[in-house]
Amino acid sequence: MLAISRNQKLLQPGEENQVLELLIHRDGEFQELMKLALHQGKIHHEMQVLEKEVEKRDSDIQQLQKQLKEAEQILATAVYQAKEKLKSIEKARKGAISSEEIIKYAHRISASNAVCAPLTWVPGDPRRPYPTDLEMRSGLLGQMNNPSTNGVNGHLPGDALAAGRLPDVLAPQYPWQSNDMSMNMLPPNHSNDFLLEPPGHNKENEDDVEVMSTDSSSSSSDSD
Amino acid sequence: MAAAVAMETDDAGNRVRFQLELEFVQCLANPNYLNFLAQRGYFKDKAFVNYLKYLLYWKEPEYAKYLKYPQCLHMLELLQYEHFRKELVNAQCAKFIDEQQILHWQHYSRKRMRLQQALAEQQQQNNTSGK
Repeated sequence: MLAISRNQKLLQPGEENQVLELLIHRDGEFQELMKLALHQGKIHHEMQVLEKEVEKRDSDIQQLQKQLKEAEQILATAVYQAKEKLKSIEKARKGAISSEEIIKYAHRISASNAVCAPLTWVPGDPRRPYPTDLEMRSGLLGQMNNPSTNGVNGHLPGDALAAGRLPDVLAPQYPWQSNDMSMNMLPPNHSNDFLLEPPGHNKENEDDVEVMSTDSSSSSSDSD
Repeated sequence: MAAAVAMETDDAGNRVRFQLELEFVQCLANPNYLNFLAQRGYFKDKAFVNYLKYLLYWKEPEYAKYLKYPQCLHMLELLQYEHFRKELVNAQCAKFIDEQQILHWQHYSRKRMRLQQALAEQQQQNNTSGK
């Protein structure tokens, strides 16, 4: 409505006033806009100041974060090492044995020449650092096979268990077959089933000890 | 009552089992016996291998204190490896182990003899220098 046609060159007198009024109106609007612009400029300036503040705070926070992280790492290391120490303390405590017991045990194993050769040992001596055939046969394990079958086996030396059929061996109990155990000193695993294989395995496992006792009649002896 | 009786027989069985396992695990210290077992193919039996693994409980101190021949524990540990079990079939392997065991067995007595000799020599020197 206020648009003035450019083709109109001649202004009629009534229209001059209109144009002037329009001009004044426009000028007023410009003034308003200028004020607005000034105001916005101030606001913009404030915004910038605030942004700078925000940046400063941000960098502060980051700094704190770094420090916290370092502290956390140091503490974590300290805690870890403390835990390791505790573990080793626990382990040491678990393995603690009274010195008296150790000495007693040391006496036991040395007295029978089990770990140290007798001072008079010469290469012909039958004594050995392990249980010999004779000792093995005369133990409970050796006697386990039924003593009824007599003299089936001609090869005695070196054939430990199969030749447990020696009913006449009245050898004394050797201390390595100790009987002086307390009641609660039981072997841990009560199950006799050592076959953990699926059905592919056809060997029956009746008693784990009997697996050891061989039912092979003739066996070649190995010289001792 | 019946439970107590059952417990008793159970305990007796456990005691026997304890003694048997004690004897057997110590027999493993004998390399000739190990050779014997290897040649008869016991080490190929999976149940037997599992049993050897089960026997590792003798390493605990409460059980180990009953062992007269603690070297058997080392052999037991070695026996957990299949390679070792396979090697034991050879008689030379067993003989070698036997020789080394005996030599090690004599270690302390040799050491003591050497100490005694050194002491005796020292005394002789003292005597000669004293005179």
